[in-house]
Amino acid sequence: MRLLIALALALIAEPALAHPPPLGIPGFFGGFLHPLFVPAHLLAVLGLGLLAGQQAPHWGRAVPGAYIIALLVGLGVLTLGVVPRGADLAVLALAVMSGGLLALARPLPEGAGGALAATTGLAIGLGSPPEVISLRAANLMLIGTGFGGTILLVVVVEAASRLTRTWQRVGGRILGSWIAASAILVLALRAAG
Amino acid sequence: MRRVLVIVVAVAAVSPALAHTGGVADGLVGGLMHPVFGPDHVAAMVAVGLWGAFLGSPAIFILPIVFPLVMALGGVLGILGVPLPGVEIGIAVSAAVLGMMVALAARPPLWVAAVIVGAFAIFHGHAHGAELPPGADAVAYSAGFVIATGCLHLAGIAFGLLTRWPAGRLAVRTAGGAIAIAGLMFLGRLA
Repeated sequence: MRLLIALALALIAEPALAHPPPLGIPGFFGGFLHPLFVPAHLLAVLGLGLLAGQQAPHWGRAVPGAYIIALLVGLGVLTLGVVPRGADLAVLALAVMSGGLLALARPLPEGAGGALAATTGLAIGLGSPPEVISLRAANLMLIGTGFGGTILLVVVVEAASRLTRTWQRVGGRILGSWIAASAILVLALRAAG
Repeated sequence: MRRVLVIVVAVAAVSPALAHTGGVADGLVGGLMHPVFGPDHVAAMVAVGLWGAFLGSPAIFILPIVFPLVMALGGVLGILGVPLPGVEIGIAVSAAVLGMMVALAARPPLWVAAVIVGAFAIFHGHAHGAELPPGADAVAYSAGFVIATGCLHLAGIAFGLLTRWPAGRLAVRTAGGAIAIAGLMFLGRLA
């Protein structure tokens, strides 16, 4: 019965907006590089990481923690063969939000940061279906994406939290406006079909 | 075993990749090049940076933050096909007006400067948005031209920092005047 349900879920799943392995590298390392080579994901992680760094030390480790857990949940859902519709659009919308908040540079409650991080992690996880034929390669790519997405965020947060000089913080705000602007344009492009 | 079978079927059931049809590198390079090859865009962007530097903090960073965000809204209009009359004229006028602001050493309140810059950003964004190539990776292309626009602002700011010295101040105002004249020439070509 469970098998039938799973089969049905698999068959009704939306066509996968899968990403080919970055640089043609399959398996774990392809997945590891995935967040770096899918521009929408990179924008979202950069926006979130820079925002978390900007809000440090007010935002603690719970924010990256929420992102990591949600990312793993999203990737776990993909192993069931369910590819939710609109994950890439959600990633872009979240990049707009993170970039906009980064540009505004106003203090934000940690709870809001946790919610933003969790939603971003989940959307990136769900938006990372691997385009490979073998199950083993698919799973290795998903594991790699989990590691790559986690390390990328942690590195950006750690680096951004060290940017304490005025010009560095201003640079972060300008980057935020660039991230938000890029994501807004792509959202419009997708809306236009 | 059953779980493995389920996963195999699930993976087999999904369709091939459709998400990113164009190359990321091609999209990024195309986006980076797009504003650079439009002299009217270049003149206006550099003028935004010059004026920001001339006005000092916080305008020096507020203007480069306002511009891309409002430009994106203009880009949305262009992408969605919402007509905006006189886009090319608006771009030419932006170079003339912003250059003149620098040349005349105009120091309006920050909100006025932000509104002026933001209003012109709509025209630039509309032009960029209407020209987004459908084949290229859209995110990479958009990021590319936003980054190129920002770098032109930064180039203007870098030159504008010369205003710390009297001779530099003269040089910056002269550059502003040159941009204003170029803007008028762009406008003349459209007439």
